[in-house]
Amino acid sequence: MPPALLEARGLVRTYPVGERLLTVIDGVSLDVDRGEFLVIAGPSGSGKTTLITLLSGLDRPNAGTVRLEGRELTTLSEEQLAPLRNTTIGFVFQSYHLIPSLSALENVMFPAELRGDARAREKAEALLAKAGVDGRAANFPHQLSGGEQQRVAICRALVNEPAVVFADEPTGNLDTVSGHSVLNLMLDLQRERGTALVMVTHSAEIAARADRVITLVDGRISAPP
Amino acid sequence: MRLLHPGFIRRQFSGAGSQTGIFLLCVALSMLALVSLRGFGRSVNARLLQDARGLHAADVILHAHRDFSPGLTGAVDALSRRGEVSAARTWEFYSMVTPEGREGSLLTNVKAVEPGYPWYGEVALASGRPFGRILQPGTAIVEETVLGRLGLRVGDRLLLGGRPLLIADVAVREADRPVTFFSLGPRVFIAASELGRLDLIGQGSRVDYRLLLKVRDPAAIGRVAAGLGAAALPDAERVQTYLTASSGPKRFLDNFLFFLSLIGTFTLLLSGIGIQSALTAFLREKRDTVAVMKALGAPGGFVMAQYLAVAAILGALGTLLGIAGSYLLQVLFFPLFSGLIPGGLRPQLAAATVFEGFALGAIVTGLFAFLPLWRLREISPVAIFRRDPARLPRQLPFWLGGGLAAALIGALVLWQVRDLKLGLWLLGGLVGLIALAALGAEGLLRLARRLPVRALPLRQALRGLFRPGNATRPVIVTLTAALTVILAIGLLERTLDAQFVQSYPPDAPNLFFLDLQPAQLGEFAKTLGTPAEFYPVVVAQVAAINGAAIERERERRKPRDNFGRDFYLTYREALLADEELTRGPALFDSGIAGAQVSILEEVLEMAPLKIGDRMTFRVQGVSVDAVVSSIRRRTDASPRPFFYFVFPTAVLGKAPQTVFAAARVPKGETLPAQNRVAAAFPNVSVVDVGAAAAQAATLVARLSGIIRFFTLLGIVAGLLITASSVLATRRARLLEAVHYRILGASSRFVLLVFALEGALVGLASGVLALVFAQAITWGIATWRLNLRWHPFLSSSLAVVALTTLITIGVGLAASLPVLRRRPADFLRTSDGS
Repeated sequence: MPPALLEARGLVRTYPVGERLLTVIDGVSLDVDRGEFLVIAGPSGSGKTTLITLLSGLDRPNAGTVRLEGRELTTLSEEQLAPLRNTTIGFVFQSYHLIPSLSALENVMFPAELRGDARAREKAEALLAKAGVDGRAANFPHQLSGGEQQRVAICRALVNEPAVVFADEPTGNLDTVSGHSVLNLMLDLQRERGTALVMVTHSAEIAARADRVITLVDGRISAPP
Repeated sequence: MRLLHPGFIRRQFSGAGSQTGIFLLCVALSMLALVSLRGFGRSVNARLLQDARGLHAADVILHAHRDFSPGLTGAVDALSRRGEVSAARTWEFYSMVTPEGREGSLLTNVKAVEPGYPWYGEVALASGRPFGRILQPGTAIVEETVLGRLGLRVGDRLLLGGRPLLIADVAVREADRPVTFFSLGPRVFIAASELGRLDLIGQGSRVDYRLLLKVRDPAAIGRVAAGLGAAALPDAERVQTYLTASSGPKRFLDNFLFFLSLIGTFTLLLSGIGIQSALTAFLREKRDTVAVMKALGAPGGFVMAQYLAVAAILGALGTLLGIAGSYLLQVLFFPLFSGLIPGGLRPQLAAATVFEGFALGAIVTGLFAFLPLWRLREISPVAIFRRDPARLPRQLPFWLGGGLAAALIGALVLWQVRDLKLGLWLLGGLVGLIALAALGAEGLLRLARRLPVRALPLRQALRGLFRPGNATRPVIVTLTAALTVILAIGLLERTLDAQFVQSYPPDAPNLFFLDLQPAQLGEFAKTLGTPAEFYPVVVAQVAAINGAAIERERERRKPRDNFGRDFYLTYREALLADEELTRGPALFDSGIAGAQVSILEEVLEMAPLKIGDRMTFRVQGVSVDAVVSSIRRRTDASPRPFFYFVFPTAVLGKAPQTVFAAARVPKGETLPAQNRVAAAFPNVSVVDVGAAAAQAATLVARLSGIIRFFTLLGIVAGLLITASSVLATRRARLLEAVHYRILGASSRFVLLVFALEGALVGLASGVLALVFAQAITWGIATWRLNLRWHPFLSSSLAVVALTTLITIGVGLAASLPVLRRRPADFLRTSDGS
């Protein structure tokens, strides 16, 4: 059996709140396989977003390890993590987080340009066309609807063909129709490219389409992975 | 509803440190320049007025450029006989001195004084002994420089007019010469009784004659002066009291402080932009609070009142800081101005200055804070729900208020300058400069928007310039305006230096000889041993133009060169090599009957003269009417002698005259030549033009250093606005940094983007300032000073580079907290679950 793409063991994350320590993630261990669609579900405040920031190396746990493609993320410096985020990991956020000063096309091109990819424009244009927003390529984020912004964000997450995409409530800010359309786009692209997808969501409908669902309650996994 | 909510106002200060700090510093900065200069000016003026008797050494001062008329001396004698006044004469002129029995010579400023001088103040001697007892016939009291330059000591002898004088002491301070700005030679005091024996004063020699009177009854000073004024020759003799006489130092300081106050006004305007920028950023941070208040039913006026109170408190604190800083700055003035102001001055803050400072602080804060505060009314309650809510439309009161604020700012500048015409020019110039800077900034930013840049960090930096909330335009405008003034002053100083000191023309005369008597010319030429050019000189006054008499007192009050002074006329039949005619067919027109005069173009600045106008000169008491026959222009500003008025030989050839000689003496030969002439012609003064130009350059450098110091305050205002702008866009920058890092950019990349953004702002300001300053300097050098323009590109570019580095530094310093934030921290607070 091939090793898992992502292996997390015994993750603990605490935050000081006033004079006491709040444990947001409490001993979480899980694996994510290549091409797998994993949903992290749970009530508000259960630590879902914190967990994916730990899995993606955006944050460091107080205890535990995270290995991505065999590399231990928790011991890497910010500078060592940067190329990994650029090439191996993609992100999609609930609030889109597009760079406001760049057009849709430039936003998608940006990670590829950082990597020094000479075909950045070509790849970005192809992705935008696939996402159905190529007509809005020259528009800036504030000129796009929420659904359009999220499609652009998905294109940006996939432009460098990462091994895993972390998505934090990607349809949370969208209406039902846009939400469906964005989810379909994400899943199509994920399957087409064999990318693993780790998604935080409240939606039972989305969870139903996942390969696997784990539920977080008070920072712990309530069902076995 | 209460108008003010103290608790709410107090809370606005907590957690809003950066912008409120910058607001406060901008108010302080605007006060700093104004209050310190006004306070300093007050201190100097008070001191000069308090010591006015000492500064003039008398109650009544009579002044002339030739010996006093019998009418005036008779009137003084009559007063003396009645015991109403005590009189002492002084004669001041330049003359060469040499050490007895050895080589060397030095041009000195000789002052021959009668017993009693000075009636007030003192000439302090190094030995501490009384001046009047030490200065006796056969002795001289000299400035330390004389000893140093000639290798003499007290007790040695020097030769003045060929006669030996014993050096009795060293003068360390002179009552009526409290400061020395520029002098062709150090002071030598001799007793008046020596004058007859020394035979230094010939016909037409340039001598300052003074008669200093001590009036027994102080209440009679005005009456005595009025009586003597009636007896004085109207055009040749001046009678003043110690209160009405304007001393050289006072005139200089008045003019210089006035000029500095113009720069202070400039700083005020730039700081005003800073006040506006920082307050706008501060209020933008409070947008949600304002929206919530409005959603809860608070009327616009109530909201505005709270923040007006916040601005007033900050303004008061800033003013207080500015006043305290201005006191410290005054402490700094004394070393800066040392030698330019009378000794014994102490920094002080008069109650009037403090009061004026608070009034100014309130006005400045109010005027510049008006628009940002008024915009609070535009915030809609819907801002709670939307990040970029539509603003309420601007109505008439906004534009009226804005216009009124602008008009009041203009009035403030006019009040500061206290001269309507000059104030309007200044205001026009400043507004013009700021408008040009704004236009230039707009042009560059448009260009930047369209620039097809491939390099990713540079492209991101360019995009950053247009980040919402970025004060890119105000920052570029402020830095450009301040830098333009600094660069232009520096370039002008260097242009003057290059023209007169560094590139002293190899063929230009380097020694000037003054007061030669016509009979001495043959012997002088032999003694000098180098070819020299000779110019006959006749001292005269301009008495009337086209029959309208010149009012000399009124003329003298003009800030520029004027007809109130004496002029040196000459006569010849041809143009000099460095002259050309701008009007008139020839130097003199054979078609004009009677006397005629050719004038230099500079005279037109004193009066709008034209060919055919009639000028009346008074030459040694004799009136000479002459028709203007031509107008000349100097083709370069070389250090060659030039004359405003040139007559045909037939008109002035027989007038009492001296001869001015100019010679080019090889380097290394100048001292021996001076020594030979000094030994053979004691009445002749020698001016080493190269050395004098270097001395003048040192003074100019010092004055422009002081000016630059004040202009730097403008740069500080620009940098404060930069910091304010960076802090105002902290959230946007943080977001950008997080995006970059989430997408895989290294910290170095993020740092590079922010550094490049700062560099672009600095570079844009620097380049615009460079272009404007070069244009201004070119205009002044070419059209006003008739000098060759030099761009001094390397040093100009160094200033641009330095500005760029500073803006990078300020930008990065303010961005560092952003770089330290981890992406996850930000995501938790913005998206978190």
